[in-house]
Amino acid sequence: MANRVTQGKPKKSLSLDGWAVAIALLLAALVKLGALKHVGW
Amino acid sequence: MATTTAVLSAEPIGLPRRFLAMLPGIGLLTIVGLGGKVLEKSIAAYTKAHHLVVPNIEYVLWAILIGLLISNTIGVAEVFKPGIATYEFWLKTGIVLLGARFLLADVLKLGAVSLTLVLIELILSIGFMTLLGRIFGLSPKLTSLLAVGSSICGVSAIIATKGAIEADDEDASFAIAAILALGALALFTFPPIGHWLGMSDRIYGLWAGTGVDNTAEAVAAGALFSDAAAKIAVLAKTSRNAMIGFVVLGYALYWAARDGRQAVGDKAAFLWQKFPKFVLGFLLISLLASLSIFNKDQVNSLANLSKWAFLLTFAGVGLRINFKEMKKQGLRPFIVGALGEVVIAAVTLGLVLGANKLVKL
Repeated sequence: MANRVTQGKPKKSLSLDGWAVAIALLLAALVKLGALKHVGW
Repeated sequence: MATTTAVLSAEPIGLPRRFLAMLPGIGLLTIVGLGGKVLEKSIAAYTKAHHLVVPNIEYVLWAILIGLLISNTIGVAEVFKPGIATYEFWLKTGIVLLGARFLLADVLKLGAVSLTLVLIELILSIGFMTLLGRIFGLSPKLTSLLAVGSSICGVSAIIATKGAIEADDEDASFAIAAILALGALALFTFPPIGHWLGMSDRIYGLWAGTGVDNTAEAVAAGALFSDAAAKIAVLAKTSRNAMIGFVVLGYALYWAARDGRQAVGDKAAFLWQKFPKFVLGFLLISLLASLSIFNKDQVNSLANLSKWAFLLTFAGVGLRINFKEMKKQGLRPFIVGALGEVVIAAVTLGLVLGANKLVKL
């Protein structure tokens, strides 16, 4: 039985900054499209 | 039959499991942040009802104090730590969203003033911290880390530089502990000094953004003064963060030459790799707001979303400060950092006041 070890290509994942920008843009899009309205504080 | 074992060093656990692991800590951030908000409102209502004259303590300070109390008394259980570490994600998300409150023309004007101040501050603080490190006999790499941490953007800059100059884990821990302790100190010193000097929101915000090291503490120090000051502090700190790549590259080249290692190959790629990308997100949202893509109500919604993100950040600031852990790191890096910070705070104050005389801020 052969025991083969394959070196998987490291997946390109989004950096912390990338996630922050992506989520912020998503929220901005939701606000623009009216899905998020009158967010209070 | 072949047994195939995939070796994936980069991501040992999947995204859904990582997200699930963060939930308890994010829950704790929310509870602490909301606790701060509830305390501010309740105390204000109580003092008003009983006609008491008590200075208003903002939710920012309450959230930080509750976090500090938990972290330094009962401690933070392991299960909460992955979620608490997301405070930096909330900070960056909040900064990008806050871009909606800036017109690009303001960003360029204030950004240009900030960048000029930051350049002067960088040269002075790196020079001064290096001198202090030599006087106190700190290791040269620890001195470099402290200089980068206090001149640019605290912990992120230290982590970026650690890898670039191949510094020890111990040196990085020393530098991070010193910068965090001094950041906590800035929260309690900058706002009273600002009020005592009768500073305007813009001037104070610029001072907090150029004088306080860590981005989270700089935003918190701004918010403790006023919302408008926090806005300016974010802009000034963002300009400072944008310089990180250049300083880290400078140190990487210096240490590569000193250690006889191969210098950085593709410098443009290195600069791009170290550049804080959230700055681009901030500029993009600011551009969209300048093009009137959002109406007034939508800008308010985005600004409030940014405040919610900052609420979680401020809770995280308190929860990650553990004085016992900091004490273990020894006093010398802290003294060097403290001396450096006092000088940097004084120099940046002078620079901001000087800039205000030259170009009415």
